[in-house]
Amino acid sequence: MSHVQSPVRGSPPSRGRRDPVRTTARGMGELLLTAGLVVLLFVFYEAYVTDWTSAQKQHQATAKLDDTWRNGRGLVERPVHGAGIAKMYIPAFGPDFVFTVLQGTDQDVLAVGPGHYEGTAGPGQLGNFGVAGHRVGKGSPFNSLDLLASCDAIVVETADHWYVYRVLPLQGESDGWAAGKGTQPQCRGVAPLPGHYANVVGKTIVLPNQVDVIAPVPGQPGRAPVNRLITLTTCNPQFSARERLIVHGVLVASYRKADGKRPVELTAGA
Amino acid sequence: MYSWIWRHLPGSRAVKLLEALLLVAAVVALLMLVAFPWVEPRLPFNEVTAG
Repeated sequence: MSHVQSPVRGSPPSRGRRDPVRTTARGMGELLLTAGLVVLLFVFYEAYVTDWTSAQKQHQATAKLDDTWRNGRGLVERPVHGAGIAKMYIPAFGPDFVFTVLQGTDQDVLAVGPGHYEGTAGPGQLGNFGVAGHRVGKGSPFNSLDLLASCDAIVVETADHWYVYRVLPLQGESDGWAAGKGTQPQCRGVAPLPGHYANVVGKTIVLPNQVDVIAPVPGQPGRAPVNRLITLTTCNPQFSARERLIVHGVLVASYRKADGKRPVELTAGA
Repeated sequence: MYSWIWRHLPGSRAVKLLEALLLVAAVVALLMLVAFPWVEPRLPFNEVTAG
């Protein structure tokens, strides 16, 4: 090993290659470096490449949904698994935030866009319209869900209706709501829900197995609903599946599309 | 490993460089198009549903 420690100038590199210890050590080092690069590449794949492929799928799903609506075939009782059922707008995320929501919540569906929990209420219906979406990658529709404030609008467009939901008062905002934030114009129709809904707040973080957040009355499975809610779920914290971030909203307005008007709520701040 | 590959690439230095780049591109493509899409559903990063 003396030739390794003392700098022998001009020693041919071939001498080092024949040393099995050195060859093995270098091989291991190269393997570890390569493994690190592969992991980095995977992060890049998750955060960007899946965005590109999902954008394309989302675009196709939207085109198909538009086509269905144009042909008046959008009013089906039981939507097909994987088919587009509605469009979701969240003006707080910008005027261009629109995603086609598909029926079902398995990985293949969620790779296209937000997915409607099968078995939960449909848009505008009595109960709880449950929607899951990716936080990172795959178009990351629900990337900024944690930034939603109470009273922010979640607008859902179906074949024949616009439904305007608004995020419920957040934890700690309920006290003094009527005299406080509840007086702001965008909060009309939003208030802490009474009765069995008393524990339903605008935003919660739950464990992944807490499926009752999408129950008709959130947190109280089996109970008959009296309100029309929307529930969005995504993973929390970002890049992790440890918890779920949950946003609950309540229906404050609905418009027939036949009237030909786009809801004013689509404008941010309204 | 990498020096072994370099030694076994045929041609002049410029040709070797081109071949090496092609090899890297092929490996990246294999990872992006086959390996990552296969491994991804088996990892827990993407669970966004409750239940």
